[in-house]
Amino acid sequence: MAYNRKYRPERVLARVTFRAAMPGLKGFLIAVLRSYPYGAAALSMLILATVAGLILAFNPPPKKQADLVFWTFAKPHYEAYLQVIGDFEKEHQVKVDMQLVSNQGLPQRLQAAFQADLDVPDMCEIEISSAGSFFRGPLEHVGFADLTDRIRSEGLDRKMVASRFAPYMSRGRVFGLPHDVHPVLLGYRRDIFEKEGIDVNTIETWDDFIEAGKKLTIADKRYMIEMSDTGSDQLETCLFQREGGYFDPQGKVTFDNEIAVETMKWYVPLVARNSKTRIANVLSSSFGTVIAQGMENTYFLSVVMPDWRSKIFENDIGKLSGKMALMPLPAVKKGGRRTSTWGGTMLGITRKCKDKDLAWKLAKFLYLNEKDLAGRFAGTNILPPVRAAWKEPAFDREYAYWSNQKLGRIYANFAPEVPAQYTHPFITLAKTKFGESLTACVQRYTANGENGFDEFVRRTLKSKADEVRRQIARNPF
Amino acid sequence: MTTTSIEKTSVREGASGGGGYLRFQQKAAPYLFLAPFFLLFALFGVYPILKSVTLAFYATSGPKDMVFNGGANFTFLFQDRDFYIAVGNTVTYALFSVFLQLPIALGLAILLSQTWLKGREFWRLAFFSPNLLGQVFVGVLFAVLYQPQFGLVNKTLHSLTNGLVPLDTKWLGDPNLVMPALVLTSIWMYAGFNMIYFLAALQAVDKDLYEAASVDGASAWQQFLNVTVPGIRPVTTFVLVTATLGSLQLFELPYILLNNGAGPDQRGLTIIMYLYNKGFVVGDLGYASAVGWTLALGMLIISLIQVRITGAGKEGQQ
Amino acid sequence: MAVATHRPITAQTGKLAPGTLAFRILLYSVLILATLCALVPFLWLVLATIKPSGEMFSDPWILVAHPTLANYQQLFTKELAPGIYFGRYLLNSVFITCMSVTVQLFLSSLAGFALAKYSFAGKKFVYLLMLATLMIPAQVTMAPTYELLYRMGLVDTYVGLIIPGAVSVFGIFLFERAMHQVPDELIHAARIDGCTEFTIYWEIVMPVTRPMIGAFCLIGFMGTWNSFLWPQIMLHTNHRFTLPIALNQMVGIYNQEYGMLMAGTFISVLPVIALFFMLQREFVAGLTSGAVKG
Repeated sequence: MAYNRKYRPERVLARVTFRAAMPGLKGFLIAVLRSYPYGAAALSMLILATVAGLILAFNPPPKKQADLVFWTFAKPHYEAYLQVIGDFEKEHQVKVDMQLVSNQGLPQRLQAAFQADLDVPDMCEIEISSAGSFFRGPLEHVGFADLTDRIRSEGLDRKMVASRFAPYMSRGRVFGLPHDVHPVLLGYRRDIFEKEGIDVNTIETWDDFIEAGKKLTIADKRYMIEMSDTGSDQLETCLFQREGGYFDPQGKVTFDNEIAVETMKWYVPLVARNSKTRIANVLSSSFGTVIAQGMENTYFLSVVMPDWRSKIFENDIGKLSGKMALMPLPAVKKGGRRTSTWGGTMLGITRKCKDKDLAWKLAKFLYLNEKDLAGRFAGTNILPPVRAAWKEPAFDREYAYWSNQKLGRIYANFAPEVPAQYTHPFITLAKTKFGESLTACVQRYTANGENGFDEFVRRTLKSKADEVRRQIARNPF
Repeated sequence: MTTTSIEKTSVREGASGGGGYLRFQQKAAPYLFLAPFFLLFALFGVYPILKSVTLAFYATSGPKDMVFNGGANFTFLFQDRDFYIAVGNTVTYALFSVFLQLPIALGLAILLSQTWLKGREFWRLAFFSPNLLGQVFVGVLFAVLYQPQFGLVNKTLHSLTNGLVPLDTKWLGDPNLVMPALVLTSIWMYAGFNMIYFLAALQAVDKDLYEAASVDGASAWQQFLNVTVPGIRPVTTFVLVTATLGSLQLFELPYILLNNGAGPDQRGLTIIMYLYNKGFVVGDLGYASAVGWTLALGMLIISLIQVRITGAGKEGQQ
Repeated sequence: MAVATHRPITAQTGKLAPGTLAFRILLYSVLILATLCALVPFLWLVLATIKPSGEMFSDPWILVAHPTLANYQQLFTKELAPGIYFGRYLLNSVFITCMSVTVQLFLSSLAGFALAKYSFAGKKFVYLLMLATLMIPAQVTMAPTYELLYRMGLVDTYVGLIIPGAVSVFGIFLFERAMHQVPDELIHAARIDGCTEFTIYWEIVMPVTRPMIGAFCLIGFMGTWNSFLWPQIMLHTNHRFTLPIALNQMVGIYNQEYGMLMAGTFISVLPVIALFFMLQREFVAGLTSGAVKG
């Protein structure tokens, strides 16, 4: 019947006349548009997809060309490593690919990559608070290589500050090399302190500090110190100072013990609204533009200052050069420990790394070489865990930014006293729960003051710690 | 509405007109057209659903390590305080969506449907436009706007209220303000979106009904109750159900606003964030499936109740 | 919506809208206030992209003291990750989104056509199955889909990201509904003329269904362009990151450079806005057609 007529004639006719009337490229384009039935928007998407697809196809993610791929999330580390990596490459005739990656989602992504056999770097630096989460699951499926034997046979556990291995161990095996010690001091606005007649040498204990703080603090305008009432960053530092912690060396939850209760009861009145001793507050972020503005505007007069943070201050808040200085952390009691710790980084070699010996050499090159460590310190302000290195002259340099103090020497002096912290696969959960306890206690204190506070703190910490214990008991691996 | 009952016979009739090939391709056409979709649908639609049923009974560490653990995932789920926190936050958020955001959307729609209004097109676009931004981008933007001390929100409120709202109000740092911040942001994003539905429904209501009502001497409020409300009922049900379901699946907005976490005191923890943390951060895919099924069941029950209460089934057919 | 503007709702009876001038002024001010709330954040974003980073927070009410394009320049010239510039993320997003929408469009409309205009064995079953999956939220299947893609070796690939999303049950229902309205006589006539079934779909049904295509394109585009959770789970290599993931990462590293972040945000939302202005009529019609008609 109508077998030979594929199109309806009037349509075909219309099309032909259309094409004839519109010669050249324009006509062609319109013809294409008309024969694509989904319309202009859909057609442009198809074209965009094709073009973008072609460009992407010709620019695939580079195949691994280096002998070692190294990830770090810390910009200061990255910049410092870049300066020396050439020497290592020359010495060993290899190529190292040093990459700066965002810490936002890094642990999750790396853990998922381990679990799904995806490409992972040969070496990776991991932040102390997330290190533990890599040790869930069977030991043989931990994504990082077991470094215990290498560390023991070369005596590194004696050469480095021993307490710094603790966060990177699981079931007796060590999976990471500590990058740092991270002693904590206070960084303060020397100019304002002097103007207000506060002599830091007379501040020995937290009680002294709080007394001074009450004089300097003006609600909503000026706070003696940056301390959070919702996050546990500074609270944790105070907990460590008192030898407390989230877990004990055996992996038992300890953040509801007597030390933790005391720390909490002491800390909350410093940050709670309506408290007579409120000398602290926090802005939305302890980093970046926000804290820079806060420091410049004297919203904060001091901050908890681990060594790594001092570099960030120098870089981000240049305006305060010569106006900042360091003082030891006030002690809990007279004669007590005047430092603590905040943060840390481990270097791990992944199980998938082909040349583990070379990776180990690089690890030692970056972490143990005394001469280079001194140079690296100049670039990062981060005190290396290798004691012998502290003798280098770099640690006696005077820093104009810090009112000509010998920053390295001060941190080194307090390093031996840095308390240990222990980790666990559920460290992230424990931190969350501890932070929640803080929030709950602050709210309670704001509403009811000292009334029944002791009992409330105990009950809250106990129940939060029990949640972590239940979660741990559930893990079948 | 166009009804297409003739279609049932159309294939056979058409077939009578063609030769062998045409006849064949007419018969095969629906299957061929459905095939590519159906193949993918079976693989990525049906299979994962079936698989998630079994997966929910395993403890896993990534896709490789799995241990059967009976109903332990579910028993633990219902003991875990975090899950209840997540449910509490999510439900609170959903309630605000339904009882605050939707009335605002309806109010805007009524305003825009006034006959004397000039520039309706512009207003509609203006209110709708925030919805074009994805939750992630809104999160990045509002995290800056909500900054204490320097952010736009605080500076504005501070000067408008003559200092009553302190400059260092921590919208995203104070546990009691996290939810208000989330709700405000979501009103900004979605009120205009839902307004579009209400507006379309209002414009479809029969004008004669208003005439008749006013002839009967009904007041504006009575007209609203007796003409407008029944008239837009089907749309209301639709908007109500979709807004609730959408709220129950909240994730990106708090996750980005609260810097990739649950915020102070986990006040920004939602059910999906809980699922993501347990399933894809810790790596327990089995537990994630259990959470997913629990959520699915909850959503089903809630929407059934909503449809029942608003009675869309009965009166929607008018 | 020209049709809409001329339809009085409260008519002349107008008790809801008393004709008094004061009342109208009141309502207009409510509208203006609401519009300000809706648009100011957006305006702030645009201005923030042309402010120097240092002035971002100094005074939000000063519009722009020193306008600059430095933020954009920095955004596009800075190496955000090893060997990766912002353009790469943009390209990834464009490719993944456009590809997804194109595939979805083809598959959904084809399947919708089959369901709307044919009767065949098993049709009821197909409907039932699709309805059932529509009731189950995507989050239920995230874990098993991830596991499945892991077994297929598709984790961290573009294909793995696009293919599972190519199945849009919602899209099928959208097209099925629209195609019901295509008169059967038209199809019939084509058949008598000897058109193959695919030709009917391609040459007759699709062109007639264009408004729905426009709506679908925009909805699909917004969905994929803005999606975060699934790419966040699926993608591991920086070279494949989409804009939402990349931007979230940048917030982590460049907390000192808000100007650049805001410029990145602005560029990321621009395509959706552009597309919306191209398609907004179809979009609003398509969005509400189902709901209003019940």
